[in-house]
Amino acid sequence: MIIEDWESTDLSLLETLDHVLNRGLVIAGEVTISVADIDLIYLGLNVMVSSVETAHKVLRKRQTK
Amino acid sequence: MKLYLYCLLEGIAQLDQLPQGISNAPVRLLPIDDLAVLVSDVDKDAVAVTRETALAHAAVVRSVLDRTTPLPFRFGTLVSEEQLRSYLSTRKPALENNLRLVRGCVEMGVKIIWSISNNDPHEQQLSDEKQGAGARFLEEKRREILGDERRSAQATEISGWLHESIGELIRDEHVAVRPSEKLVLTAAHLVERNKIRQYREKIAEARASRPDLHFLMSGPWPPYTFANIELEFKTRFGVS
Repeated sequence: MIIEDWESTDLSLLETLDHVLNRGLVIAGEVTISVADIDLIYLGLNVMVSSVETAHKVLRKRQTK
Repeated sequence: MKLYLYCLLEGIAQLDQLPQGISNAPVRLLPIDDLAVLVSDVDKDAVAVTRETALAHAAVVRSVLDRTTPLPFRFGTLVSEEQLRSYLSTRKPALENNLRLVRGCVEMGVKIIWSISNNDPHEQQLSDEKQGAGARFLEEKRREILGDERRSAQATEISGWLHESIGELIRDEHVAVRPSEKLVLTAAHLVERNKIRQYREKIAEARASRPDLHFLMSGPWPPYTFANIELEFKTRFGVS
């Protein structure tokens, strides 16, 4: 699988999130993000390619609780 | 009122037609000494992580990439103007070093994923032999350990091969070998703008020579990965 047109893919969103959330200049103690009203489940690419099956298991467990 | 920070710039005194920032807030250029910071004035204590806010942050940083190479701030950086001035004042030498490192460059990303099974058929054959439950368990564990070691060695070899393929075209790199089970590596390369075409060609050649691997390429990006390496270390470990 080769992503040529990166901007038009869902992976571009994941890559963008990976960059803006995990990298960049940090002023100590001044990065404050809210997850209270989060409307996006962020799965980094690393997680996505390795743990789709794990995610399914977690979801199934939650549904059975 | 606080400042939401997008990126740090050098050599820019004025910018026109900036995109809207997070939550549609106007974006302005705040000059501080010989540097400048793209900021929005916000009346919040935290920024919600949503698709819109994250993409807005990325869009503002990216908007200046045609004119200069910024040092992006991480999403969610909210400070007072006094805190920002203090940060720039105390970190100025390191920030200038980082600006010098990324000047004229963009970040390109490569992820390599295993695409074929690395299971050894001889190993598999062993498990098919009749064994007791305990022996099968131990055999399974042995195979896991051997397989893991083999994959780590292969990943290290692939990382070296990739570096040899594009090393002369990059100014710097940040590589994580086997960051997860199915990833061979993730790499961020700092590439001079006039070498992007050559870089892509080299990556394409490398990709063609290894059909056993999947390549995911991205970029050009503002140099998020290279903005903070030294500074983050100092911040985290209290080294000044």
